[in-house]
Amino acid sequence: MFYIHQTCCISPQQTYTDPDINMLVESAGNKLTVIEPSCEGIPMKVLRRMNKGVRIGVGAALPLIQGLQELSGIIIGTANGGMEESILFLNQIIEYNEGILMPGNFVQSTANAAASQLSLLSHNKGYNMTHVHRGTAFENAVIDAAMMLKENRRHSYLLGAVDEISGYNYKFEQIEGWYKKEVVSNKHLYKSDSPGTIPGEGAVMFLVNNVKHNALAKLAAITTIHSENAMTVKHIMEDFLTNHVLAEGNIDLLLTGEDGDNRFEHFYLQCEALMDSNVTVARFKHMSGTYPTASAFALWLACRALTSQTLPGHMIKKQGSQTGYKNILIYNHDKGKQHSLMQVTITADGVHGKTL
Amino acid sequence: MSRVFITGIGVISAIGNRVAENHAALMMGKCGISRSGGFPSKYSGILPYGEVSLSTEELKERLHINDAGITRTMLLAINAFDEAVQDAGLTSSQLTSGNTALIGATTVGGMCLTDELYSDANDVNKHSPFLSSYDCASAFLYMQQRYRMNGLINTINTACSSSANAIMYGARLIKNGFATKAIVGGTDCLSKFTINGFNSLHILSSDVCMPFDENRSGLNLGEGAAFLVLERETDTVNKKVYAEITGYCNTNDAYHPSSLSGAGDGPYLAMKGALAEAKLSPGQIGFINAHGTATENNDIVESNAMIRLFGTPPAFESTKSNIGHTLGASGAIEAVYCILNLTYQEVFPSLHFKQPITGTGLQPVLSFKKTALTHVMSNSFGFGGNCTSLIFSKT
Amino acid sequence: MAAEELKQQLKKQVIEFLNLTEMKPEDIKDDEPLFGEGLGLDSIDSLELIVLLHREYGIIIKDPKDGRKILVDINTMADHIEQYRTK
Repeated sequence: MFYIHQTCCISPQQTYTDPDINMLVESAGNKLTVIEPSCEGIPMKVLRRMNKGVRIGVGAALPLIQGLQELSGIIIGTANGGMEESILFLNQIIEYNEGILMPGNFVQSTANAAASQLSLLSHNKGYNMTHVHRGTAFENAVIDAAMMLKENRRHSYLLGAVDEISGYNYKFEQIEGWYKKEVVSNKHLYKSDSPGTIPGEGAVMFLVNNVKHNALAKLAAITTIHSENAMTVKHIMEDFLTNHVLAEGNIDLLLTGEDGDNRFEHFYLQCEALMDSNVTVARFKHMSGTYPTASAFALWLACRALTSQTLPGHMIKKQGSQTGYKNILIYNHDKGKQHSLMQVTITADGVHGKTL
Repeated sequence: MSRVFITGIGVISAIGNRVAENHAALMMGKCGISRSGGFPSKYSGILPYGEVSLSTEELKERLHINDAGITRTMLLAINAFDEAVQDAGLTSSQLTSGNTALIGATTVGGMCLTDELYSDANDVNKHSPFLSSYDCASAFLYMQQRYRMNGLINTINTACSSSANAIMYGARLIKNGFATKAIVGGTDCLSKFTINGFNSLHILSSDVCMPFDENRSGLNLGEGAAFLVLERETDTVNKKVYAEITGYCNTNDAYHPSSLSGAGDGPYLAMKGALAEAKLSPGQIGFINAHGTATENNDIVESNAMIRLFGTPPAFESTKSNIGHTLGASGAIEAVYCILNLTYQEVFPSLHFKQPITGTGLQPVLSFKKTALTHVMSNSFGFGGNCTSLIFSKT
Repeated sequence: MAAEELKQQLKKQVIEFLNLTEMKPEDIKDDEPLFGEGLGLDSIDSLELIVLLHREYGIIIKDPKDGRKILVDINTMADHIEQYRTK
């Protein structure tokens, strides 16, 4: 499909500058909120209108696009982009009884606020797309990027995902029973054996193109599955593994979005069962928390695993017999309804001493 | 890469609940914009709107839907989706095939339930059945389940160009082999949220909108939905085919969050890119369904961009003068109208135009005409500088 | 209210309404243009300042174009407020 050349990640862990993921940053108040970097490089005039989601989206993208000569377009996945700003505008509507209102919130309430701010800041007049299909918003952005790069062999795109924990979505998801009722630390997320998970947030950006040389990793294949039926999911998964994944060689690492919700764990166990016994199984939601575009964080981790050839112990669920990582499968689902599989592979010359 | 053909269309708007009604109204130059207002807002009945004549209850009855959490946005979408699928004659196994994609677009989503959302977001003790219906994806997650679809599903939100982008994404999925059929479109309904939003920007007209007129005073909001069934060429043997999607391009104006640049680079590059994709020269475009919102900013910038690209622009009009600006649905509704232009070889009158904009001298089509058309273009521009042009061609 | 006091208050309100978090009232000069050069505000800011005049001083500006004459700098805004305020 395409090659990943640079990446930048703002997450609840130390991933932004000098990434160090061996030490696990602990959750607070049953949430994993991002470590927000200072916003140097974003002009104050622009910054003052940004909510947290847009701010971290732009913050993670700027290091990749600043000074970049050739950027053909910007492709973003976000489930909740603009919703926080929508609520602010909504509150104005009600509080001032549809009177004279401040338009700033309304203008920033569109889901494409992050993608359009990035085009403004980088003066990029190319393709500018925002996918918002909740748990597969990032996956659709990936498919979009893959198509753009097939159609335009020499282009480079900024591909990314951003979502934040906002007051409103936290409340709604909590009422609907998606979060754990008891106090649980991310350190013990997988042992909790109870319904619900802990929410998270993050912004992850990638610079992608068709150039193999010097790439961090190759995104080799992707599929999305839209079903709550375990058998349907299993069959599509098996097809995908046979027809796409195994063509690139055996999987050595399965990275899953297991998130401590015992009602939906069976999907992950089912996927693990499809792997050979020598495959290492690792998890990431104790680092990122659960949010609709968390698979972008998993893709960042996969790039890191391929370049550093190691993963911190706290991620490992089952150590396989193979040494080193060459061929990684990411499996994630959102609320047991929207599933995705991404295959990320090593590039021959990408492994030597390259760091994220 | 396979050619992509349109084999089914469905639309609901202020001028009709089905394609045939919309077509008849366009031919007659009917305006569906009025001051009647059945939605909860202080401005309901005061400002002019392009409102769908069916109430939410009537839509539910017509579609036999009574699920909790259903929004008007979803009902409009389903009404248009059913018509398009039926029109294309898709069987249920074709609809549920893993190779049939559903690509939807909306900007309002469940935000049409402004009051419910306010109470859900602010009152700790209360919650409505709509908690998971507010986001944009909810409409298409619901539809995917309703029709048991198994192909690629996506929701796009790039403000007012959303459904033009959904059409483009669907066409590209087919060309790139990710799907063999794609049902693509958009939906948005009138809401307190958007009315107050556009009002806060002072771009809602208190009179019926006058696209491309020197004295235009802003836009009217409308509502509606439209869907198109796209199929790869090899699947359309012995099928009715309306048109081919030959060109598309998305660009960003990179100038301002809510207005277009004077130079109109975004619109210009989108139209130019769509021509390049279709391998056409400007002179081959016979007609443009312009974005034409009737705001001061859009119409002058779009006019100048058309002049910059075409020299003398081809015949053009804005159907927003019939139905208002339907936001996330507008690209898809206007695509259906373009297909009517091509199918029946006719152009419809742009309404409420009196005087050309000083400096451009451009005049939209003012009367119904039979005319030979091979390639037509549709423009959609949105907040955040998002600009998309599509080209449909006779097969 | 004394003219100076009003200007001080107005500067605080401008900073608050436009979320100019890194600015202090003393950073804004009375005759510094709000738009273009100077503070470099844009068309959305101008609409937000119109809301400020309404919410804080009960002044209604119907056509944003009329706002341009009033929203030149802090001096012109303060003059207009003194003349037309209803609260």
